[in-house]
Amino acid sequence: MSTDRVGIIGIGQSRFTARRDDASYPDLVREAVVLAMNDAKLGFDDIEAVVYSLSPDAMVGIGNAERLGVEAVGARNKRFLRINTGGATGISSVAAAYYHIASGVCDVVLTAGADKVGECGDSQTVLNKIWDPTYERQLPLGTINMLGMSAIRYMDRYGMTEEDMARVTVKNRRQASLNPNAHLRKVVTIDEVLASRYIAWPIKLMDCCPQSSGGGALVLASERYIKQHNLDAVWITGLAHCSESYWLGDRMGKNPAADHADAFALGRSFQRAYKMAGITNPGEQVHVAELYAPFSNTEYHSIDAAGLAKPGESIAMLREGQFELGGRLPVNASGGTLCTNAIAVTAMIRVAEVALQVWGRAGGHQAKGARVGIASGNGGDHQFFGTMVIEA
Amino acid sequence: MPYKVQPGVIGCAIRPAIAARDRSLEEIIYDTTQQALADAGLTIDDIDGIIVGSNDQLDGRAISVMMASGAVGGVDRDILSTPSGSEHAFILGALRVATGQFQTQLVVAWSPTEASSIQEVERLGADPYFHRALPLDELSAHALQASVLEQKIPGVRDMADTVLAKNRRHGEIAYPGEHGQPGPARWPLAAGTTTRPVTGCVAMVLATSDFIAKRGLTDVAWVRGMGWATEPSFLGDRDLSAAPALAAAALQAYQEAGITDPMAQLDVVEVTDATPYAELLAYEALGLCARNDWAARVGDGTFAHDGKLPVNLSGGVQTFNPVFCTGLIRFAEIANQVRGRAGAHQHPNTNNGLAQAGSGFAMQYQAAIVLGREKEVRT
Amino acid sequence: MELMTRQETWNITYNHALGETASWFYAQIRDHSKIYGRRCAATGRVLVPPRSFSDQTLEPTTEWVEVGPGGRIEAFTIVYEEFQNLPPPPYAFGYVLLDGADTALGGYFKGLDLTDPAKAAERLKMGTRVVTKFAEQRTGDVLDFWYEIA
Repeated sequence: MSTDRVGIIGIGQSRFTARRDDASYPDLVREAVVLAMNDAKLGFDDIEAVVYSLSPDAMVGIGNAERLGVEAVGARNKRFLRINTGGATGISSVAAAYYHIASGVCDVVLTAGADKVGECGDSQTVLNKIWDPTYERQLPLGTINMLGMSAIRYMDRYGMTEEDMARVTVKNRRQASLNPNAHLRKVVTIDEVLASRYIAWPIKLMDCCPQSSGGGALVLASERYIKQHNLDAVWITGLAHCSESYWLGDRMGKNPAADHADAFALGRSFQRAYKMAGITNPGEQVHVAELYAPFSNTEYHSIDAAGLAKPGESIAMLREGQFELGGRLPVNASGGTLCTNAIAVTAMIRVAEVALQVWGRAGGHQAKGARVGIASGNGGDHQFFGTMVIEA
Repeated sequence: MPYKVQPGVIGCAIRPAIAARDRSLEEIIYDTTQQALADAGLTIDDIDGIIVGSNDQLDGRAISVMMASGAVGGVDRDILSTPSGSEHAFILGALRVATGQFQTQLVVAWSPTEASSIQEVERLGADPYFHRALPLDELSAHALQASVLEQKIPGVRDMADTVLAKNRRHGEIAYPGEHGQPGPARWPLAAGTTTRPVTGCVAMVLATSDFIAKRGLTDVAWVRGMGWATEPSFLGDRDLSAAPALAAAALQAYQEAGITDPMAQLDVVEVTDATPYAELLAYEALGLCARNDWAARVGDGTFAHDGKLPVNLSGGVQTFNPVFCTGLIRFAEIANQVRGRAGAHQHPNTNNGLAQAGSGFAMQYQAAIVLGREKEVRT
Repeated sequence: MELMTRQETWNITYNHALGETASWFYAQIRDHSKIYGRRCAATGRVLVPPRSFSDQTLEPTTEWVEVGPGGRIEAFTIVYEEFQNLPPPPYAFGYVLLDGADTALGGYFKGLDLTDPAKAAERLKMGTRVVTKFAEQRTGDVLDFWYEIA
């Protein structure tokens, strides 16, 4: 048996809500860290390094806001660095923590963060500023209309309808209602989603994720340490990142390398993670998936990219209930990003939720018998894609 | 050495002061990346991972890695970013090579001067709960640190002036005709104790020992040890007259590299001399010289270019201050010294070098790496 | 207990250097109402907006190529929600493949009734031919032009 693997030994996450006026930004980080440390049954002296998970500073309104979190994560005079890959930050941070251990440098590493998206007033104001000032900032770009344009292309290519989009929301809200940590837990119907107002055609209010506040934390350790200390763990057996062109217009036109309808680099990232984990047929070998999809339409191309469906076939498979909790391969059993989005830790929560699933600790939204799971995170302008395979 | 695979630095490009406006930031990053690849004798096809370090508020872009990704070859590659520090980009890149799961890593950092006020950018780093209303920028934090040191250590200002003069002298040798514009006064720092920000960009290429052997690459700076640590956020929680996080980082790096007597085992050092006081604190925390000996060692030229252990042969931050990437430039300068490619300021017989990076308010973040000419042999 | 907040606003202005390539592109829009792309020598593809290097090949582009003014819609959206610091809704914008280009250029769609979302979306559907219109007063910017259905 190898002793080279990296395991997850502790998980902490807030009960996500719209506002947390009772807690400052570092307080929220601390909340998740304490939960993860208690879960791992370790003390801060055992932590050798911390990877801080934080996407745009502007979202919390503090420059290099990770500096303010040093004490919250117990990093004084310890190894500490921050990761930002936009929405993918959370899974990129877990990956960075993994590399600390897989390199041989550390045995126990904490990764943590939090977000208070509600406090920046309007996240789309900040998110417009992610576009480059040279050619694109002048346009009213935001993450909603950017992915609305992906929906347009996916509809054109594969025949997705607004009702198909609504079906994702209905599924994920039902699943979120079983997850006490999810933000939007109210069950909705297809008609209610279709009747909700347009934000950016074809995306309607109920096709959108909320702006959430809360924290997330994971403790990772080397297999050697886990065995020496007789700890319980689940294992990161595959991981990768891959990126697309920053230029949205390059994902269209004549023969683009990556089409904006799809999630090309997410697919490439999954292929690399599967190769590392020895997964050759994900549709059969994967039991549960947490795929970063902040808008209902993007769950389809994420399922396609994960190799759980042929491109476009995810629409029919989802309609048949294959991706529901209780179905063949539950996708976003936690309710997913669509029901909870505290941007800095959203992709970390995808990893955390898959870890809980394969550990058999997911409670009311447990997928029965899950032993192999996958997680993903998307960041930038649908540009950076982190993926992970987690096994019991 | 704890690494599963020993990483080596095989290429560097340092562009510490870019004045021309004929290239956009994205193009500057592209140019620098291409230069580092050429220095390594590689093309982008050889690169299988990238780490960038940049600051959103300095760049004026809310996720600055987005625009930069294409320029550094991020398309269809595994790219991450460490906005906490340019030095952290190197550390994460080296960790990835050390896993043996990557053959190569490209590390790039930059620091533009397109913001209307860099002081205002820095002030956003003060928390909005207790400190934002104060005039707290990095110069203020440096000044607070200097004033604490002046109260504790009689004569420290003279030592600081000597360090400053040394680095200016080094800068004239290293980059003749270039010198930093003097920064403003802030008591007790006189005008010219710091240097005004300039636009800079730096790129480094790392590879595994197998890759280096397979390609027959020479001029390698092997990573022997790395340490990095942070102090708490609030200045009021810190002892500004010492650098405990750097001491912790140095301990990590020395343990990994097997350094027990740094004065004897190191040949060259680069430190982030944002102020000469920061350089003095680094001497102590790195175990080069206790504070009781600062006056004597600074006075006898121990750390000058012809001294026992030259510090900042490049002229340091006093010569060029591209704020956010000064840390990675220190790493690249030492890599070039060890690789024998430092140019006008190459030190003879450089087998082992140390580079220190400090960043944030009064050097909240600290890092130290030891690079060596000889690959380690596992026993 | 009383829970308080502190309001803070970020106020920094940036002067981003455009470099030679984007500067020339904007000068042609301002002075001649013309849109140009750059050809990647390695692939022959015409990149619009013009880039001095291709992020696919990392090779410098070598040649200016005039594109448009006609083109076809590659993506669109119609925004009905108000966002801070963005224009008052509704508005339509998206990406157009200009004739002679290989990649799509962003811009507003104007001259359309947007009150009925489904009807407006039908008129803007992918593949629809459009023509580029230029403002009389031009400053050298992306907002100097927009698209109208041909």
